[in-house]
Amino acid sequence: MKAGVGVWLAGGWLCLAVGASLFAPLISVHGPQLPVGPALSPSAPGLPLGADALGRDFLARLLYGGRLSLWACVLASALSLIGGGLAGLAAAAVGGVIERLVLWSANSALAIPGLLLAMLLVAAMGPGLPTVVLAVGLGGTPGMARITRSIFLQLRQSSYVSAAEALGGGRRWIAVRHLLPNARPHLLSLATTNYAWAFMGITTLTFLGLAGDPSIPEWGAMLNDGRSHLFDAPHLALWPGLAIGLTILAVHTLGTWQARLRPGD
Amino acid sequence: MVPVLDRPALGALAAIGRRALEGAVTAWAAVSLTFVALRLTGTDPVSNLLSQGLASPQQVEALRHRLGLDLPLLIQYLQFLARLLRGDLGISIYTNRPVLGVIAEQLPQTAALASCGLLISLAIGLGLGVAAGWDERGLGGRLAGGLAGLATAMPVALTGILAIWLVGLVGQRAGASEWMAALQRLLLPALVLGFASSGAVARVVQAGLRESLKAPYILAAISRGLSPGPRLLWHALRPALPPAISLIALEAAFLFGGTVVTETVFSRPGLGRLLISSILQGDYPIAQGLVILAAVVYTASYVVADVLSLVLDPRLRRTA
Repeated sequence: MKAGVGVWLAGGWLCLAVGASLFAPLISVHGPQLPVGPALSPSAPGLPLGADALGRDFLARLLYGGRLSLWACVLASALSLIGGGLAGLAAAAVGGVIERLVLWSANSALAIPGLLLAMLLVAAMGPGLPTVVLAVGLGGTPGMARITRSIFLQLRQSSYVSAAEALGGGRRWIAVRHLLPNARPHLLSLATTNYAWAFMGITTLTFLGLAGDPSIPEWGAMLNDGRSHLFDAPHLALWPGLAIGLTILAVHTLGTWQARLRPGD
Repeated sequence: MVPVLDRPALGALAAIGRRALEGAVTAWAAVSLTFVALRLTGTDPVSNLLSQGLASPQQVEALRHRLGLDLPLLIQYLQFLARLLRGDLGISIYTNRPVLGVIAEQLPQTAALASCGLLISLAIGLGLGVAAGWDERGLGGRLAGGLAGLATAMPVALTGILAIWLVGLVGQRAGASEWMAALQRLLLPALVLGFASSGAVARVVQAGLRESLKAPYILAAISRGLSPGPRLLWHALRPALPPAISLIALEAAFLFGGTVVTETVFSRPGLGRLLISSILQGDYPIAQGLVILAAVVYTASYVVADVLSLVLDPRLRRTA
């Protein structure tokens, strides 16, 4: 499958966003926390994107915010991928009581919508960015366990697994040597969709003010801050909004492309 | 004639009963999960009050006693379940009012928003799904499919703010008026919420239409001389509708969660705002009550969806 224009644009945006947030100190003259200009100023020399309600350099906040927004989701989605993936693998490879236990607990947890489950965890642990990341990661785990189980179950029916069984391969050996490597393309595209979900979840929770400290630059929280100045300084909401929207679109585009790359589907 | 339950009908009834029982067990598990999540994470909900300087140590001790937090965990859990069965969700830590009363007070606002959102999502979803499924390769079909994808992908926070901004800009041009304020209060939030959940409806309708357009009876209809137009569309759409209708129940549950963000974006009172403020204040009985309500609504919706599809699609009844 040849990568189309959309895929290149999506990859380009993600590289740009990740690179710009990594090299934020080199690009932006100012830090994200200190007031440097008149409050709500539009773009001016020295302040390429203007300043926010407290006079802080908005470009700096957008760049440093990208660090949190883009990387926090990596953590959260890694958590659900590893936790859910291991549970799913255990369920599919071992079967029996463990499979029933995993499925039953995943289904019960899924009776609470993922975002609401995350909010419940934030309620239990108290607001804060680490809590939000942990909550979104755990909130995505049950769904992941269910999907990975069905992927592994499907793989287990393939002829190479029967061949390995016929050769006398143990369950664990088959799981590690055959199931896991062959599930990799499926898991990769799952990781992409899960990243999009985690990104949306984290920006939504921080948008709702559950990240605690409002001085931390983060795209979701910035979008919420911009809400109160939508008409006198629209750039405060539109830039983080654009960054969030483009990132989600880019991840989805890459996910669709990845799914099409998979042989046999 | 006395209606006699034939065997398939009995089988369907049994399937419904089994589904309802499963739903009850799931709801119990989800409810227990909220209890475990709130009690075992280490933070004592009451000690927050102490650390924020909102209560003296003696008051905190009295509150712990009143909330039953000084009892063994198992006893607390059994008490919690017993109260829940009587419809008692406890009392708010901050206002001392029964949680059920606080929730009931905010429910109408959220119910209005969610039901308007549901109607809008069905209208948009059906439109986009039919447009995307009827002519999948054409420009219109691909545009509709893309729009449906966008609806699912974009967070409500973003679309909501964009909608407020755009409507506000138009309003400034046209001179802000009363109808504009009314629009902002219900229609705009419902539109944003409905758009967000229309993607799922569109996908189901599109998939159903794609399937049935390939079916032999459509080929038969065309070869009998039915031209590809509204009548053929209706012919193909009808078998695609039952899954979409049973999706409504699931949509209702999704909307319930979606209102949390929508209410914050539009500064509308309701259950979602209540949830956020209770989390930020550490008023755990309210947060717990709301999550329990959501879990029960969600599970019940699943059961209703399954039963609806059994009723609407006779083909499923035979296998049930």
